Amino acid sequence: MSKSKKMTLSKKQNLTGWVFLAPGAILIFIMSFVPMFRALVLSFKSGVGANMKWSGISNYVRMFQDTVFVQSIKNTFFYLLIQVPVMLILALILASILNNKDLKFKGLFRTMIFLPCATSLVAYAIIFRSLFANNGLINLLLVNLGILDQPYAFLTHTTSARIVIIIALLWRWTGYNMVFYLSGLQNIEYSVYEAAKIDGASAVQSFFKITVPLLKPTILLTAIMSTNGTLQLFDESVNLTNGGPANTSITMSHYIYDMSFKYVPNFGYAAAMSFLILVLVAVLAFLQMKVGDKRD
Amino acid sequence: MIKLRKFGMYLFLCIVSFISVFPLYWMVSAATNKSAEVISGRLIPGTYFLENWKNLMAAQNVGRAFGNSFKYAIILTIVSLIVSSLAGYGFEIFHDKGKDILMSIILLAMMVPFVATMIPLFQMFSKAGWLNTTIGFILPTISTPFLIMMFRQSARSFPHDIMEAARIDGLSEIRIFFQMFIPTMRSTYAAAMTITFMNAWNSYLWPKVIMTDSLSQTMPMVVANLTEGYVTDYGMLMLAVLICTLPTAVVFFCLQNAFAEGITGAVK
Amino acid sequence: MKRKILAALLASTMVLSLVGCGGGSAETPAADSGAAATEEAPAADSGAAEEAPAADAAAAGGDETLTVWCWDPAFNMNAMYEAEKVYQKDHPNFKLNVVETPWDDVQTKVTTAATSGDLSTLPDIFLMQDNAFQKNVIAFPDVCMDLTNSGIDYSQFAAGKTAYSVIDGKNYGVPFDNGAVVACYRTDLLEQAGLTIDDFTDITFDQYLENGKKVLEATGKPLISMQAGECDLIMMMLQSAGSSLFNEDGTANIVNNETLKIVMETYKALKDAGVLTEVNSWDEYVGDFVSGNVAGTINGCWIMASIQTAEDQKGNWAITNMPSLVGASGATNYSNNGGSSWAVTTKCANPDLACDFLASTFAGSTELYDNILPSGALATWAPAGDSNAYGEPNEFFGGDAVSAKIVDFATKVPTNITGAYYYEARNAVATAITNYINGSDLATELQTAEQTVNFNMQ
Repeated sequence: MSKSKKMTLSKKQNLTGWVFLAPGAILIFIMSFVPMFRALVLSFKSGVGANMKWSGISNYVRMFQDTVFVQSIKNTFFYLLIQVPVMLILALILASILNNKDLKFKGLFRTMIFLPCATSLVAYAIIFRSLFANNGLINLLLVNLGILDQPYAFLTHTTSARIVIIIALLWRWTGYNMVFYLSGLQNIEYSVYEAAKIDGASAVQSFFKITVPLLKPTILLTAIMSTNGTLQLFDESVNLTNGGPANTSITMSHYIYDMSFKYVPNFGYAAAMSFLILVLVAVLAFLQMKVGDKRD
Repeated sequence: MIKLRKFGMYLFLCIVSFISVFPLYWMVSAATNKSAEVISGRLIPGTYFLENWKNLMAAQNVGRAFGNSFKYAIILTIVSLIVSSLAGYGFEIFHDKGKDILMSIILLAMMVPFVATMIPLFQMFSKAGWLNTTIGFILPTISTPFLIMMFRQSARSFPHDIMEAARIDGLSEIRIFFQMFIPTMRSTYAAAMTITFMNAWNSYLWPKVIMTDSLSQTMPMVVANLTEGYVTDYGMLMLAVLICTLPTAVVFFCLQNAFAEGITGAVK
Repeated sequence: MKRKILAALLASTMVLSLVGCGGGSAETPAADSGAAATEEAPAADSGAAEEAPAADAAAAGGDETLTVWCWDPAFNMNAMYEAEKVYQKDHPNFKLNVVETPWDDVQTKVTTAATSGDLSTLPDIFLMQDNAFQKNVIAFPDVCMDLTNSGIDYSQFAAGKTAYSVIDGKNYGVPFDNGAVVACYRTDLLEQAGLTIDDFTDITFDQYLENGKKVLEATGKPLISMQAGECDLIMMMLQSAGSSLFNEDGTANIVNNETLKIVMETYKALKDAGVLTEVNSWDEYVGDFVSGNVAGTINGCWIMASIQTAEDQKGNWAITNMPSLVGASGATNYSNNGGSSWAVTTKCANPDLACDFLASTFAGSTELYDNILPSGALATWAPAGDSNAYGEPNEFFGGDAVSAKIVDFATKVPTNITGAYYYEARNAVATAITNYINGSDLATELQTAEQTVNFNMQ
């Protein structure tokens, strides 16, 4: 008797859960999966403009023969491997410093560090281009300090152009990720830290022993989001370097966009390339979930 | 020693803040300079602000665009927070194998570049007659995998024992959500609100596809208009960009205490 | 249990009703301003027409309103407003609804509408970049209307200009602004090197290089800066000798293009000598001449509007024709860069009106061209150049009658072939020049460029 009552209770709860998530899930289904399915169908077609014909998997074969696209995959992974870890660590450090109760001007610091991601893309692209211009502020400083003999064209050399993109990304998104950590830190009672302090734990120790483990769900969230964001990176490639020099800083999304709107449009091919991004992000996200999504 | 460490901490924060704010300072000062001065790298504020203001108001309908952006962003933020947090809560609090799998599937929805799904989506919306409407603007981004996941992750720290107690007291599930979950998770809601508002405010690619008349133009469109001509007036452009940046900054400033200052003790 | 479901339902209805409100409120401002400003009314009209094609046809009878997309308030939008005034003299009921839409957005909207097969969102007339014209007509044959027999006299336009919008012998566009190349110089800086503007008129690139070295020595400033990774100058040089990246039959013309080789070598020689300097972005390019870091530039004549923002340099600038290539057959001192043309969409409910409007304004009214000249919009329509307005001296450029000069240049521009794959080829050549400047072998780079273009055309 009591057992069957428990069964119905869990069934009831189960059902309630479904009702809660239904509106969101249904919207995502209609607004994302229906178009995604159509795009998937499209990826097996090829042709110019609106005139598409079935072409089997030829688009998927084609992308690996496309030297520019292969280059864009390499570039994108270069950004991913360097920028995401650096950014998340920096954001974590900033968040734990700003979570310190005794710190003064916290609100001011937080706002200033967050502001970059609120800045409109247009402004920030113009500013970064002018900072790294041949006669820009950075060159002026480096030449005056005697580090460089003559101005260096940062955006027209492969390595420096990529580094500028990474710097720009760090500048723009570190504060954004910090916000999630700050809000996640609210769920850790401050007394835990005080207790640790009394036990003689250093700031570094309590960072690794308390902050990181307890923030794990949030860290997972930001890791997946940043991976996704970087693999779909578009704005910086278009606005800072325009993919150059000689396509050595172009990203996958930038190339897909060009293929859709700048070049003679082949939406089948563009869709196929998009699904490669999906597969790449999905694999990485799956690995991250495996590592980080255990409920203890 | 402690003093030294504290000093180091402040120094670090000051450097990071300076780097973060410098480009914004540049933007503000550019808005007060002539185009030719901006482009030749002048860093000091000038006296051309009023001229830029007049030029901007004459060139673009900033008031209407600002109003539109504001309307879309506010509606989208409110609806989106309700729908997504309900879903995130449902996924975590009542989690089972099926829901966990569904969550993974939902995450897939954000992994395809928007360029690929934009055309099918446009077809659906133009058939439905939603071009140039608020619903057309907001519908695709009301429910996002990102927000759902964010609420799911933070619901993990929602204390189960309190929930059990409430259930025993006879509180309905929906009331537990509205009366207990939302107040407890205020910091998450504040963070989510900031981010959603910002994304809605800055969204560009989708609006530019479905908004085809000048009445529905948004702030990012106005900024884009200013960059397109043969001659770019950089002073005026920077002023427009500044106006476009302010609301997000204000929203952040107002909400930050809610997500960064502990509200511990409210429930725990 | 029941109560809980009810509650959940209630919550979702609440959400839905919120959404509903959103939809409702969007319509209100549209209706409001439609009533307030008659100019905006067509927006509401075309909205209604989308839903009911019958209404569309009905509207065509009495309504003489056309919707236009273009992007620069000071320039082509202004031109449209002036054209509206001119046309209204004979057609008092005629109205234009000009929607400011940046070119990138026009392209995105046209692509989206055409690919999804729903052209109802398109306007009646839109402005298209000349370089994108072939691509759009070939990729989306349903979008642009064939204007060959629309009553527009194409013989009165510069041939090099009209060619951009001719596909398979049919005219799809009405030429608008002039992209004739001008070489602009700072006469005060030239003077320091003992040179005058005459030393730069009707010259070759060899002479340009020699002069450039003198200027560099005397002033420390390069003659010209160019945006790295954008091969504007390369394309201008190529067209000045009537050469293109494509053959008549549409195949790529890169590896066996002798003119292109000369262009690449000339460009590298200028760069190596320091006479040409490469910058990272458009802002930096404009900044260079506005703040006097370079002694001149070569570009489409529309660049003069940007030059004139440097008010302190008034009177110190002069324009002339560009240098010609050495050793290329058909080399001239004239070329083209940029420019745009009007296209009429097939969705247009009143094509006769649209054609007549364009024929009697942009292809038939000296008055219009006189009115828009102050905004810098120079005609490619020959009769306009005879007007007195074009002989007016321009004080910024040393009192020269620059407008007449440019119209004259425009008639001498050799025709070239854009081809549908223009942007692909351009990007491939930009990659080639970047690598060539950094020391790669020219033949190999051109080979790669041609392969890339061929791959894109498969």
